This record gives sequence, structure tokens and C-alpha cells, in this order.
Amino acid sequence: MRDRISHDDLMRFLDGELAPREHARVEAAIAESSELAREVAIFKAMKGGFQDLSFQPVDYHRSVWDTVNVRLTRPIGWLLIIAGVAVWTGYGAYVFAVAPVDAWQKLAAGAIVIGTIILLASVIWERYREWLTDPYRDIQR
Amino acid sequence: MQPELERELIRKCKAGDARFYEPLVRAYEPSGLRLAAGMLGNLEDARDALQDAFVKAFDALHRFDLRRPFGPWFFQILRNHCRDMLRSRQARFKVETLDENLELRPADSEKGPERVRQRAAARDLLWSALERVGDEHREILVLKELQGFRYNEIAQILDIPEGTVASRLFHARRALKDALEEMGAEFP
Repeated sequence: MRDRISHDDLMRFLDGELAPREHARVEAAIAESSELAREVAIFKAMKGGFQDLSFQPVDYHRSVWDTVNVRLTRPIGWLLIIAGVAVWTGYGAYVFAVAPVDAWQKLAAGAIVIGTIILLASVIWERYREWLTDPYRDIQR
Repeated sequence: MQPELERELIRKCKAGDARFYEPLVRAYEPSGLRLAAGMLGNLEDARDALQDAFVKAFDALHRFDLRRPFGPWFFQILRNHCRDMLRSRQARFKVETLDENLELRPADSEKGPERVRQRAAARDLLWSALERVGDEHREILVLKELQGFRYNEIAQILDIPEGTVASRLFHARRALKDALEEMGAEFP
């Protein structure tokens, strides 16, 4: 009798995935075979163990939605800021380049802008290098 | 969630409006968290995986077929992400922090503290056994036993033929039984 019931049939029987006629056939086979009955009893005991488990309900205030929302909308914000800054910088550079002022004035203003960019870039680079070698960077605060 | 409402929300999300994603996130968060926690073994990693999976799913919504339900598709993304996390060793199945977030169903409180203690011990044993059976067996057990999915849904999530589900479940249950026996569990 055991041979006529495949492992797959047994699993489908346990999980209620068999058609009524097939279910009755497996049930009859179990009734006739103590070996099969024991196997089914073990699997049912394990299923029961899982059913005893439950997770605490998700706390509404600890929902992942806030983080997901930030991650979905933040790139749009950055994109808009970068686009806006790029347009204004380009326009400002153009206006400055065609402005009717002396060459030394343009050179001095250009030096200030370029110097600021260099300083900013070097600070960012320094911070990045520090972050790369920070042994505590994976520790959550 | 009603299928028609779900489709409407997804349609709006596909148009780029993330506000309509919130009901979907809230609807699938509890079962997603259960799945991820079951696969990863702790809630912190599970929460990270869930966030990543929701973001990935949103980014991939343009590929989503509106005739299909959202759940199995999302769980497939989540399951793949959990597997990637386990593979890349960002996460490891570990049960230490799971206990405080698990609770026993209060089905038989009248049977006293001894019964409660026995069930707590059985629960610990089960989680430790799950830790031993390996990722492949664990994921199908979680999908069936913790999530209660039907075979066709499991097949969709794991991207395997429906006929293979029963056979994989059999091997997973056998492995779990062996692990439990090695740990001293006794069966009838």
C-alpha cells in the first residue's frame, strides 16, 4: 500500500492540495499502513509546531513605509536641485562672461569661484578617504 | 486588499505617483516581514530586506503585468533579495534576536505555565532546526508553514514548476525532521 502513495501525494494530502477522490485514496492507504500513519503523524506534529508560532503585529509607527517613501522621493529631490543649480550656474557664467567689465575683474571673480570649488572638493575628498578607513563605519548608532 | 483596488493603486504608481504605494506597502508589510524574518532569522535584517524589496518593486513596476496579483510578484522579489543577502554574507540566518519578536499564540493559557514553557522550548527547538536545514529547505518551509501559501503561489514565488513544490517540500520536511531528531526531539 505504501508503494502506491508517492511522497508528493503525501505532501499534497498534508497540505490539503488533493482533489477529494485522491484525498480519500491517500486516507485509506494511511489507515492500512502503520508506517505511513507514523510518517504522517510526524509531519503533522511539525506542522503543528509552526502553527504555534506567530509574529507580533507590525507596529504602525515602525512601519517601513517612511523609509521606503524617503528612498523613493529623495532621488527626485536631488535631481531637481542638481538640475536647478546647473541651469543657474551656466546662466550665471554666461552672464558674467559677456558682462561689460574689465578683464581683471573677471579674472579675480573667476579665481574666487575656482578657489572655492577646489577647497570644497578637497574637503569632500578628505572626508571620503576618512570614511573608507573608518573601522567603526558599520556600527549602528 | 481587493484585486481591483490593488490594480488601480499599481496603475497610479506606474504613472510615477509614489503616494499610492503606501497602501500596498502597508498591506504586504506584515507577511513580507514574516517571510524575510523566516529566511534571514532576525528582524533587523528582515526589515532592511523588506525596505530594499519595496524600493526594488517600485522601480520595477513598469515591468509588472497588471493581470497578475501583486503579492506573489513582490514576494518573489523579496525572496530573491533575501537570498542575495544570505549569499553575500551581509546577513546570516541567526535566531538570537528573533525570540523577543516572536510570541506564542495564546491558545491554551488555561493549561498553565508548564504548558507555556513547553511550547516556548518547542519553538526554540524549531527555530534552531530551521537554522540547520539550510537556505533552500528553509525558504520553502517558511513559504508553506509560516506564510500558508498554496502550491501554485509557492511555485510562482520560487519560479519553479508547480509539480516540483511537493517534492521540494518533502525533502525540506525530511531535513527538518532529521535536524529535530539530532537535537533530541522525539516524535510519536
